[in-house]
Amino acid sequence: MKTITVKYGVDSVTKQVDADFTFGDLQDSDQFKAALGYGDNTKALVDGIEQNRETVIPANATVRIETKANTKA
Amino acid sequence: MEKTEIILNHDGSFVERLVSERPLNVGQNVLDTLTENVCRQVRNVFHIPEWGAVHASVGVHDVLWCIALDKIPLHARFKLINQVMVPMFASGTDIEMPLVWRVPANVKVVFCVLTKAEDGFVSVEGNWLFACDSEKRGYRLPLPNLHDDCRICTGQFEGDQETALACVQKSLDQFAVSKWNSDLMRTIEQSQKFFRFLPTKDTFEPLPIQGEWTSLCSKVSTALYERVVV
Repeated sequence: MKTITVKYGVDSVTKQVDADFTFGDLQDSDQFKAALGYGDNTKALVDGIEQNRETVIPANATVRIETKANTKA
Repeated sequence: MEKTEIILNHDGSFVERLVSERPLNVGQNVLDTLTENVCRQVRNVFHIPEWGAVHASVGVHDVLWCIALDKIPLHARFKLINQVMVPMFASGTDIEMPLVWRVPANVKVVFCVLTKAEDGFVSVEGNWLFACDSEKRGYRLPLPNLHDDCRICTGQFEGDQETALACVQKSLDQFAVSKWNSDLMRTIEQSQKFFRFLPTKDTFEPLPIQGEWTSLCSKVSTALYERVVV
């Protein structure tokens, strides 16, 4: 297990997650979505740099979730 | 410039230290790099009649202009359901009307224009429409023609102008006359709880939002929203 902090706008949450928890897992996580209120169309950033979904989140990392622009229907 | 320092150590011995200093001509570059993402907020830069005060978030490469709206022009199709006039954005048959929705006191709606100074003119890089709560959480209103990041699908308009003021004015003009259609539409139920009008003898009076307004919107967080001045 490891601890990560996730921020979405002015709200943030610190939680323990599995050691192999990736940025994609975070973006898809219903638990984090419910706690912070983000949707399906997001990107994950660390220190302002967008992260790959497959990358494992380092322990004690602070991840900022941002809403991504969608394309016109 | 060279300095000589004589240091007395704890053990009583003396050491001579020579320090060499020379000015490096990188001050501005370093400052520019360090402040690349820093924006300066300036309030009440100008005032646009019928819209109000315009605030700015001035970045190194662009300026985000922000106007707190007290109304949203809703050129859309509407239908009378249970004596309440509600939008029918995807309809092709219901009556089309230019109703004006008044923003309630507990909702802050901000219209934003991002401009960039080009060679001899200023260009509009985009328009956004955000709703904010009292703690400055950002929300996407239940309206069509809005991307997930609250960027407005404005349609074509002349976005290259001589001044930033003209860019903001043109953007607002476009916002005022644009029709809300079914592009980027989500569920109509949320829109119909949010934008409601009571038909009276002479006009259509905006009705309060049905329920907690934030539950009818999606929460938004973007780098651009962080710059919004409310």
